[in-house]
Amino acid sequence: MPDTLAIDIKGLTKSFGSAHALNGLDLAVTTGTVAGFLGPNGAGKSTTIRILLGLLRADGGTARLLGGDPWRDGVELHKRLAYVPGDVTLWPNLTGGQAIDILCTLHGPVERARIDEYLQRFELDPGTKARSYSKGNRQKVALVAALASRAELLVFDEPTSGLDPLMEGVFTQCVLEAKADGQSVLLSSHIFAEVEKLCDTVTIIRQGRTVEQGVLSELRHLQRATITVTLGGSPSALEQVEGVHDLAVDGSRVTFSVDDSAMPAVLSALALQSPSALVSEPPSLEQLFLRHYGTVDASAR
Amino acid sequence: MNNRAHDFAGLGTAFGFLLRRNWLRMLVWVLILAGLIAIVVVSQRQAFPTQADRTAYAAIANTPAVAALTGLPYAAGSLGGILVIKIWMTDAVALAFAVIFLVTRNGRAEEESGRTELLRAGSLGRHAYTLANWLMVAGFCLITGLACAGAAIAENLPSYGALVMGASFTGVGLLFLGIAALAGQLAQSSRGANGLAATVLGIAYLLRAGGDLAAKHDVAGGLSWASPLGWGQAMRSFGSNNWWPFLLLAGGALVFCVLALRLEASRDLGAGLLPDRAGARTATAFTQTPVGLTLRLQRWSILGWALGIVIGGLFFGTVSTAMANLLGGNGAPAKLFLGGIGGNVLSGLLDYFTMAEALLIGAFVVQSIATLRVEEADGSVELQWTGAISRVRWAVSRVIVPAVVSLVVLAISGWAEGASCGAAIDDPAQAGRFTAIALAYWPTMLLLIAITVFLTGWLPRASLTIAWVVYGVFVLVSMFGPLLKLPTSITRNTPFTAIEQATLKASFDPLPLIVLAVLAVILTALGLVRLRGRDFVSG
Repeated sequence: MPDTLAIDIKGLTKSFGSAHALNGLDLAVTTGTVAGFLGPNGAGKSTTIRILLGLLRADGGTARLLGGDPWRDGVELHKRLAYVPGDVTLWPNLTGGQAIDILCTLHGPVERARIDEYLQRFELDPGTKARSYSKGNRQKVALVAALASRAELLVFDEPTSGLDPLMEGVFTQCVLEAKADGQSVLLSSHIFAEVEKLCDTVTIIRQGRTVEQGVLSELRHLQRATITVTLGGSPSALEQVEGVHDLAVDGSRVTFSVDDSAMPAVLSALALQSPSALVSEPPSLEQLFLRHYGTVDASAR
Repeated sequence: MNNRAHDFAGLGTAFGFLLRRNWLRMLVWVLILAGLIAIVVVSQRQAFPTQADRTAYAAIANTPAVAALTGLPYAAGSLGGILVIKIWMTDAVALAFAVIFLVTRNGRAEEESGRTELLRAGSLGRHAYTLANWLMVAGFCLITGLACAGAAIAENLPSYGALVMGASFTGVGLLFLGIAALAGQLAQSSRGANGLAATVLGIAYLLRAGGDLAAKHDVAGGLSWASPLGWGQAMRSFGSNNWWPFLLLAGGALVFCVLALRLEASRDLGAGLLPDRAGARTATAFTQTPVGLTLRLQRWSILGWALGIVIGGLFFGTVSTAMANLLGGNGAPAKLFLGGIGGNVLSGLLDYFTMAEALLIGAFVVQSIATLRVEEADGSVELQWTGAISRVRWAVSRVIVPAVVSLVVLAISGWAEGASCGAAIDDPAQAGRFTAIALAYWPTMLLLIAITVFLTGWLPRASLTIAWVVYGVFVLVSMFGPLLKLPTSITRNTPFTAIEQATLKASFDPLPLIVLAVLAVILTALGLVRLRGRDFVSG
């Protein structure tokens, strides 16, 4: 029976000296899907990925990768995955093209046509020495090597942090194609729009622990929608309605957030105040994310 | 004018920052360089206690080998003059290296890493950091000179001569500060800058060797005037004590630094004047193998070392015959120079030179195997270790290259030395003999590799520092152990001198080779096991 989870992490812990990087982290990626992996700087995203790649050894918990143990079966598993780190270091006196060939060889046979296709799409000159590349171009080298490899699992750690918006678009397209080809993808990212566009599931971590995990559409359901509306009647009437939060009044213009369950009651109350120009926004991933960190009042936006 | 002032804004801040980052490094250099002076004065006073001993030494001190290696003797009848023969060249070359490394470390290396970008984006002027670096290194040269002079004066050598000697060190240091500054503008990588400046130093050494060999009486030949090291020697401390060559050194330093500043003003941050050429768009099948990649990454370094070591072998072989003839027999000076080793003088000399060559090859070996940790620290192993290659196989590919290359280079250097010596004494058998003697140092090379592998496994962050310190101690004890009056139980049992002792015996004793080889295998295995079992540790 084939493993339906490309990545299956339960209760993962890892300490560096007295610093606890991971405190019981859970993460699952279903085969053939794209999973988003979110968290602020220092939350443990890169540590988790390095454990998955067999670069670090977990202290506790279980981590399964493509049905194997990432530490013990590393070499075999690495044939079936490709990785793009957030900060790509290459050999300064080799060209990008040479680096791509060497990286591809580490995963399987070099498919020249496929490499050339991705070189063209990412507009990368393979004849330049790596030391002359910008951060974005070094990232493109790793991206071309990973995408050209036909690996079962692609692991990306903030892969677009050095790319311009145009190239981000190319990356998005490439990931969607990879998914269509049946590849599984783990995408650690800070760019909400990218995750919303690409990911089937999302895992949000904080201080080495999973705080939110699930299918993106279901997670949205748990959250409040934001409603902006112009009222003919009195805005203050809304204050009394159950389920209305964060009410902000600007003349006749009113903004507030609503629990999904309270929506019918709120809409009937609104109807009595001659509403016009009503806009309802579903909760964004950004709000979902910020709710767990509390740095900004998400519903006020 | 206003713009000029802007270029140097923040000079004081930069100077303080640089001092904090470098003071310990500089202090260690000063202590070593000045300490060597003090130790050598004491040991030579014991070796030549009376004026009669020194006068006797003066009569035979001027040999081609001494002239070529450490400079033309000119006042060998005095303790100060003997001090200059024994240690001046070592201290001057070591100071030049220290200066080159310091200038690059805070110059081109910072620019390469992107830190300069961060600093210049602040309120720091275009040239402030560069100038602060040069000023700091110039201060380092001055203090080193004063400390060396002070060490000699403390040992009751003539003060005036000691000051001139100190000034000659300072001057040589300053000139190589200028050369390193220029190299940092021309090359685009720190390795390139270090390589360029070190090449100039090597050429300077060879030029003055030529000048000193072509000397008439105690006046060096014209070639010495083409070499900054020759200018330093021309100050003749403890002899005629000339000050004017110092003006050449300091003036040269000023010219090079001004030139470097003008270059810096006219180029982009991060750019060099020697441009990068476009390279191959694909990797060859050979480069795609782990060993092939290692060789490809190190090819210029390997070629450079091999060439230098072969030239050294030819040079040693040639001068040793001339030197043996002049020393004639087993006199006290010969014994002192050879660390008390008896037997045939020529063969003893050649054995000693073979060890010197092996020490040089050892430096290549450590530099080559250091990539094991360098690539982990800079993060480039992340993409390799997540490929379908085990860490052990990856590490073995990095081990094989220095192991095999050192074997080949040892053989060639021994052959070059034996052949050039054999040509002088009409004995073609020497080539084969010295090839075999040089090859006896292979287990020593394997041990150097093993120590670095072991340290990379168990103490990744400190590994390279410790590895170079261990190598440095081997060099110091092997080359200067007798001069430093260390007990023979230590000086004859370093991984280098133990082999020298083994090859000197009438019947070759393989025991040290076996011990070193076994140690090498054990340390390598322990290191690899730990490398496989530990976490990835970034720099």
